[in-house]
Amino acid sequence: MKHRLDLRIGPVSFRIGSDWRSPLDALRRLYETYPEPDPVADFTVRLEAERVWRRWLRPSVAIRGDYVLPDAAPMALAHGLLAAEMGMNLQMALGQKRFLLLHAATVEKDGRALLMTGESGAGKSTLAALLGERGWRLMGDEFALLDLADGRLHPFPRAISLKNRAIALFDGVAPDRLGPLLADTPKGTIRHLRPGAEAIARMDEPAPPALILFPRYDPGFARAIRPVGAAEVFVRLTQASTNYVALGERGFAALAGLVAAIPARAIDYADTDMAAALVEELWDQ
Amino acid sequence: MAGPAYIADPPDAVRAVELDGLTALFHRPSGMTHILAAPAPQILAALAAKAGDAEAILARIGERFEIEAEDPAAAIAARLAELEAAGLVRRA
Amino acid sequence: MTMGDDVNEPGSEGFAPTRRVVLALGAAAASTVVTIRPALASTAGSVLNCEIPIPEPRSAGQYIDAAGNLVAPGTPGSFPPLGRPLKGEEVKKLLAGGPSPAGVDSQAAQAYANYIRRLQAGMSGFTCYASLQMPR
Repeated sequence: MKHRLDLRIGPVSFRIGSDWRSPLDALRRLYETYPEPDPVADFTVRLEAERVWRRWLRPSVAIRGDYVLPDAAPMALAHGLLAAEMGMNLQMALGQKRFLLLHAATVEKDGRALLMTGESGAGKSTLAALLGERGWRLMGDEFALLDLADGRLHPFPRAISLKNRAIALFDGVAPDRLGPLLADTPKGTIRHLRPGAEAIARMDEPAPPALILFPRYDPGFARAIRPVGAAEVFVRLTQASTNYVALGERGFAALAGLVAAIPARAIDYADTDMAAALVEELWDQ
Repeated sequence: MAGPAYIADPPDAVRAVELDGLTALFHRPSGMTHILAAPAPQILAALAAKAGDAEAILARIGERFEIEAEDPAAAIAARLAELEAAGLVRRA
Repeated sequence: MTMGDDVNEPGSEGFAPTRRVVLALGAAAASTVVTIRPALASTAGSVLNCEIPIPEPRSAGQYIDAAGNLVAPGTPGSFPPLGRPLKGEEVKKLLAGGPSPAGVDSQAAQAYANYIRRLQAGMSGFTCYASLQMPR
């Protein structure tokens, strides 16, 4: 491929090839302060022109790599940065064998990790990013990595994908931490936010999980906390995992170990301050 | 009148973890995971590497537990059908 | 996998009757076994921007009946192929009982919805459909 960028995020390294320079330039700026990548990549992502002439004429980016999902629709070149991020997610989701992957945000305080999981749009990414600006260490906003060997969570602090209204919540951060504003993407308006310096500096420090939260957001919600039984947590987490089935018995053991030992709560919140307060309250218990 | 005989895999073919009153079960031969509520785990244990029809299952479970059911035969048949559909028991 | 041990009641003349744990067998209609299905579902939203062609390319030219089956073109009561693939978001809304996609009349939309529901592994659009389903 014409253009190439290597990246390391926590324990995972990527080699990203591209038919165009612009998505890699944007990616390079976003990940500028990350440590040197490994010479050997765990996963490869390729941003390719769907057809030869699509490199120049209404450029259209197809996301390819070691693992490919059929039916994927190509994306406009203007959204190439998003395509690269989705490509990395895809490779991780389908190829990760060392960790059980959970679609969850993870933050750490006092050496223990908080796992927040739930449906897309429930606000967990935004909440994790906010906690990361309020004294917590952000470990990841999209994927939680559960070590099959010892049950600890490993950081995967990639750039946070802020969506639509959440973007305005981070107006005050240093401008060099923000990626370009991407309008009209298949997922709405997106802006990437580089995690804070501490999150990046400590991206090789795992932490044992201590609490699982299922946050739900709606401006009309009354503040609420409910316990969630271990069997329900187990089932919900299998549905939040891209590689549970592929990992077989080791995945079962890791997940059962997690839910048997760690308490879980569902929380409803109507705004981010309420959410942060709920988190602090539960964390202190 | 006791219906067909069923059998389940031996105890070491499954791995079970109790979670909050339910049983999470990994079935090694198929690689599938199931969540079971009572009396499914007890029926599986009663049939582990040992064939039995509904009557035999009731007798084996009855050794450890006080059975409560309006229609034990219908209940056992229903549980066996669920376990069969999940691939955890098969006709012996 | 134990339900508890036998409980001995203190008896009077050295004979201790055993009170055992009660095990309810459940109603015939109850459900006691839930099988975990692989979930492309909620997680795929972060990795997949997908579309479903109606019908799939190798069935090009066939029409779709109200139940979502492929039928010969012009079969009475059937609907022609949709000229463009449906995007993941449109399919999600349609399958949830929401509005028809732009440019599609509501009866045709229902036929296409049923076609999508009948997609099986190996058919174009199946992975996209699987990724849009709500977790069980």
